[in-house]
Amino acid sequence: MIKAEKLCKLYGAHTKHKVQAVEEVNFTIPKNSFIILKGPSGSGKTTLLNIIGTLDRPTTGKVFIDGEEITTFSDIALSSLRRQKIGFIFQDFNLIPRLPSWENVTYPLIPMGIPVKERFTKARSLLEIMGLEDRITHAPEELSGGQQQRVAIARALVNNPEIIIADEPTSNIDEETSAKLLNILSDLKHKGTTIVVATHDSRFNEIADETFTMKKGRFQ
Amino acid sequence: MNKHINLLLLAAENLLRHRTKTIVVCLCVIAILSPFITAISISEGIREQSLASVEEGGDLYLTFDEFGRNTSVPLKYLEEIRTIFGVKKAVPRIIGRAYFQNKLVVIVGINKEDIPDSVSCISGRMFENPNEVIIGNELARHFHLRIGDQFSMRGQQRKVFTAAGVFTPDSGIWGASLLFMSFKDAGELFGKPEVATDIQIYSIPGHNSEIATDLYSILMNEPYRLQDKQIIELFVKKGFLLKEGIFTALYVVAFALGIPAILVASGFGLSDRRKEIGIMKATGWNTLEVLELITFEQLLISLLGATIAILLSIFWIRVFNGIFIGQFFIAEITLLPKFTVPSKFLPLPFLLSFFFALLLTMVGSIYSSWRASSVSPVVAMK
Repeated sequence: MIKAEKLCKLYGAHTKHKVQAVEEVNFTIPKNSFIILKGPSGSGKTTLLNIIGTLDRPTTGKVFIDGEEITTFSDIALSSLRRQKIGFIFQDFNLIPRLPSWENVTYPLIPMGIPVKERFTKARSLLEIMGLEDRITHAPEELSGGQQQRVAIARALVNNPEIIIADEPTSNIDEETSAKLLNILSDLKHKGTTIVVATHDSRFNEIADETFTMKKGRFQ
Repeated sequence: MNKHINLLLLAAENLLRHRTKTIVVCLCVIAILSPFITAISISEGIREQSLASVEEGGDLYLTFDEFGRNTSVPLKYLEEIRTIFGVKKAVPRIIGRAYFQNKLVVIVGINKEDIPDSVSCISGRMFENPNEVIIGNELARHFHLRIGDQFSMRGQQRKVFTAAGVFTPDSGIWGASLLFMSFKDAGELFGKPEVATDIQIYSIPGHNSEIATDLYSILMNEPYRLQDKQIIELFVKKGFLLKEGIFTALYVVAFALGIPAILVASGFGLSDRRKEIGIMKATGWNTLEVLELITFEQLLISLLGATIAILLSIFWIRVFNGIFIGQFFIAEITLLPKFTVPSKFLPLPFLLSFFFALLLTMVGSIYSSWRASSVSPVVAMK
């Protein structure tokens, strides 16, 4: 379960151009639920995802994951939490350049001490699921946007996360790949994964349990 | 353990992935370390040869003192010195310089039975008759001298010498311009038959202080100077330390210019790296793991750079005979010496080079990497 209490994020606190990206947000996301985050551009969706995904810290407020207040966690504890529980799918993929797909997929497993052979086997099975069995050794530069997104999804799944956070996952990919992604996320939901997606794509409404709409940093 | 192996393998892969950066940093490391290793190796080589020569020489050196400098010692005391208890052998020498055509050569006048064992003829024989000399192999090569050739020194045409043999001493640098002749011939050549430039005294171990006391009673009223082997060794070592020190000081100046280059180079592509570090953090890596990876990268690049620098130094000495650097340690030699410049590669400079390269590359990368990995992944990925 993910829970947020009075979450605020203020950018440029000590400058003239302060931006209140998230303001007094409270919510609870039950385990095994599919949540959609909607709202116009600049409404604070990405900031909120980054905070609940532990990639950024709130200015004030608390976030709890499985009952633990993660806002007080140290940097190492947050890394450990991300490694064990969270998979991130970024809007702009964030793959490591010039690194083969299989290595990009298994990048999170390297510091876990998993041997190369095992990592390769795991990456291959995930890339097969993504329909990229013939792109295992291709670097991101040699892949289309859709293929890159699928590699990024495989990377998000490689550590069998309990939570998947996706930020506009279909904004840079074609219709066909979007449909595939939707199916993958739907399957994951049925397997017990908690999914939070920020999107404008209305097709997600069909599988979502709940939709939060944001405007100017607040829930509506 | 597997984690560290994974990080090491990834570090090696990253060096290949960031090929341009790897090459630039490696070149910087090589450019800085290679001349330094070459210089230290040459210095060590010459020092070793010098100390070997000192080791082979007498236990005490007797000269006279004039204006605070060594000056010639009259031979009238020689027989008395030889009778001192503890003296095994007293060997008078004349060491001087004279022009052979247009080249200044070092002439050593010494009786043939006292010539160091390291000097052996590679052709011809040792001088036996008056006016016979043996010539250093490099000198013989320079003047195309053959056994039996006759010549005289410039400004002293009355004395005609015959080349009896060509020798190769253990030390190449001394052999370049050295000429051995009998003590008597040298005295006649320089017009000083009654003096020696020094007398080498070989003593029974543990008798040096008694010998010094007896010498005092013999030379009480003379301005003499007595030096033992340890002092000579100390002078040699000090001399090389000074030269190495001057070289290092000059090098540090060059370094001051090189360091910014290497720092820029090792931080080269930092914006790419910053984003990568952000991705690593976002996918569960912690700061220590990121820094371990960066350290492995610098370790590998330093190892590679230092190894190439060492190989290049060996090549520089073996193939190019220490060109440019040899001159700094050996006086009066040409840019490309005709003799083999001595060298000695010790493990310590190798290790120091490696650690120095590591330090340089680490300074250039670890702080920026730490900065990138200690901010939130979102900021680093921007």
